[in-house]
Amino acid sequence: MPLESLVRTALGMKVAVWRSQGPGPPVVCVHGAGVSSRELLPFVREMGVTHDAWSLDLPGFGRSEKPRAPLTVTGLADAVADWLAASELRRPCLLGGSFGCQVAVDLAVRHPGAAGALVLVGPTVDARARSAVRLVGQWLRNSVRESPRMMPLNVADYLDAGPRRVLASFGASMRDRIEDKLPHVTVPVLVVRGGADRMVSQAWAEEVTRLLPRGRLVVMEGLPHMVPYRDPRGLAREVAAFLERAW
Amino acid sequence: MVKPQKAVASFDSATGMLRALSRFLRDQDVPMLGQAPRVLEPVAAAVAGAAARLPRAAKEQAYAVSGWAEAVPLRRVPEIRSEELARWVSGHYPRGPYPVAFLGSSNGALIHLAAALRTPWLPQTLLLPVRRRGVGPDDPRGDLRATREAGQALLAANPDLVLHHMHDANQDRLMIAGMTYFRVKWRRLPQAYRRFLEESLPAGATLVVPECGLRWPVTRVGPRYVFQHGALGGATREEYEHGGPRVADYLSRYGAGRERWDYPPADGDSPEAEWGFEPELLADLEELAARNGWRLVRMRFGEPEELSPVVAELYRDWYRRRGLPGDRLLVECFLLLEPWWALRSGSVPYWMVFNAEQSQRRAMAYLDGTDPFDEIRLMLFSHGVESVGLAGIGDWRRLLARARKVGVFTGVDTRAYPRDFAGLIRAHRELSRIRTTYPMPLPMPWEAAAEFLSKRDEIEWSG
Repeated sequence: MPLESLVRTALGMKVAVWRSQGPGPPVVCVHGAGVSSRELLPFVREMGVTHDAWSLDLPGFGRSEKPRAPLTVTGLADAVADWLAASELRRPCLLGGSFGCQVAVDLAVRHPGAAGALVLVGPTVDARARSAVRLVGQWLRNSVRESPRMMPLNVADYLDAGPRRVLASFGASMRDRIEDKLPHVTVPVLVVRGGADRMVSQAWAEEVTRLLPRGRLVVMEGLPHMVPYRDPRGLAREVAAFLERAW
Repeated sequence: MVKPQKAVASFDSATGMLRALSRFLRDQDVPMLGQAPRVLEPVAAAVAGAAARLPRAAKEQAYAVSGWAEAVPLRRVPEIRSEELARWVSGHYPRGPYPVAFLGSSNGALIHLAAALRTPWLPQTLLLPVRRRGVGPDDPRGDLRATREAGQALLAANPDLVLHHMHDANQDRLMIAGMTYFRVKWRRLPQAYRRFLEESLPAGATLVVPECGLRWPVTRVGPRYVFQHGALGGATREEYEHGGPRVADYLSRYGAGRERWDYPPADGDSPEAEWGFEPELLADLEELAARNGWRLVRMRFGEPEELSPVVAELYRDWYRRRGLPGDRLLVECFLLLEPWWALRSGSVPYWMVFNAEQSQRRAMAYLDGTDPFDEIRLMLFSHGVESVGLAGIGDWRRLLARARKVGVFTGVDTRAYPRDFAGLIRAHRELSRIRTTYPMPLPMPWEAAAEFLSKRDEIEWSG
């Protein structure tokens, strides 16, 4: 399935979007802090075999337009909601990766009806580990397990966004209290954790699932934090199975 | 004289249960299976985790050596004294007063019952591993021949014991490479048990005898000496006796050069070596209870796992009455037991005798018959052998899929199972990281437990 590259507007800003249009219902991917859709494209291709798969660059990141001041979690969620409405995507499944989970959860809680289901892959930030030093330590410990081929993509993303926005997104990630919002998510949610993820502990992934009224946890063994990059096919299979049950 | 802690196997059901419960009664959980200091846990977990990546042959060798290292040399067997063993066992527990105590069959579900009541359990059975050379695991006759004399000497020195020499070439394949399993049962009450009970149970207390009715084919060697053909687990009694396609396949996979085992002819059956209750002990218990003004309760059940759903439901009922959700299930296996964490995490304990298909099916049947659980955690014992009837990781995944929210392996390296010794250490480590915990409850009142237990069909309750 070829990947379409589109530009849409959300809250008056140009948003870069990729799409792989399969037959099933829509799945929209939201990337992590400081990065962009680049790392998600292999997954979008796989997901597009069975579903209408999308990925967008959040405003300020990748190829999207950069607002003057970096957006907060709430601002990013509102932008995604606006883009969903403008694209006439009704109640899609929203898949967040890492910090993208925080955006997806915020959207689901504050824009009821905008998302029909969520997939949270490696949800950040552990409520018990909310310190910059800890986060950096976890990131370093995890990075040795990630694919080395992902590194140039990360560098390109960081250059696109610029250091101020990258740091701002990490700050936004740290300040956001996802645990307070999870109990208010009413749609079905699949939580995915890479079994070797050092940024998202097993205990935290379980706690996230427990707090969600309709959560379910899947642990993908041996994988690091960036599950969509390391095993796009495996993740697409899990998402498809989840959506089959959820819808 | 052989020190009791050297004579008794530490990696056995009875001792594992003794450690778990006695630690619980001292307000402790069970890191490192209660075998080593807690501070070593991270290091040991890392080392064992790395060892899990060793080639298969090296891992099998490690199992065999760990067993052999624990065993008593053949010539020292006659020096073992039953009274010393009993003193060592009862020395694990704080002295009472307790409103109730258990003495009888080993059983993981029973350990959770005792933990809920905060009472001790004294095992009737212990495993004494004995070193022997020059006999392959698939040669039961050779095993009996090599160790029979030592067995007779053990019995001559300890008239209060019955010896169940047990030979399981299926599940104990690696362990019995350099040693043999002597399981001893007390047929008379040892002094140390008597003293412990008299010091710990006031008049009016209850002494409960858990009696597992499981029996197994044996060859009678002497008046108090039987040789047991195989054991409860993946293979059936018939497969041990007569072989079959699964046995032939197993033996060919392990290059045994034979199609079936050649056990000496069975001439009867007897209480199963590890789990079964030897009823001869009852006379002493009745006499002791009468003399001290205790009520004696016999709690009879057919097979070890029949108690598991009973205790699980008792816990669930208890959690709900205390206003806790009771929506977590902790599935335990063999000697992997965590009574302290089960209660602190608000988990319903369900114990499986081993890791075979039969246990998996029973656990599934339990889940079929009860309200669904939000969370299911599974600790799996790894014995190192692709034995007949072993339940595979796929089977266990199906069990975990029954959880509504979180169905996870706890401490299991699915790629290494059933050669995953790190799991023995990691199970506790991962379980202790669980979030949303509850305060340790006051002990369950014995009257309430007795009322619940006496009404269950699985248990024949008398007294």
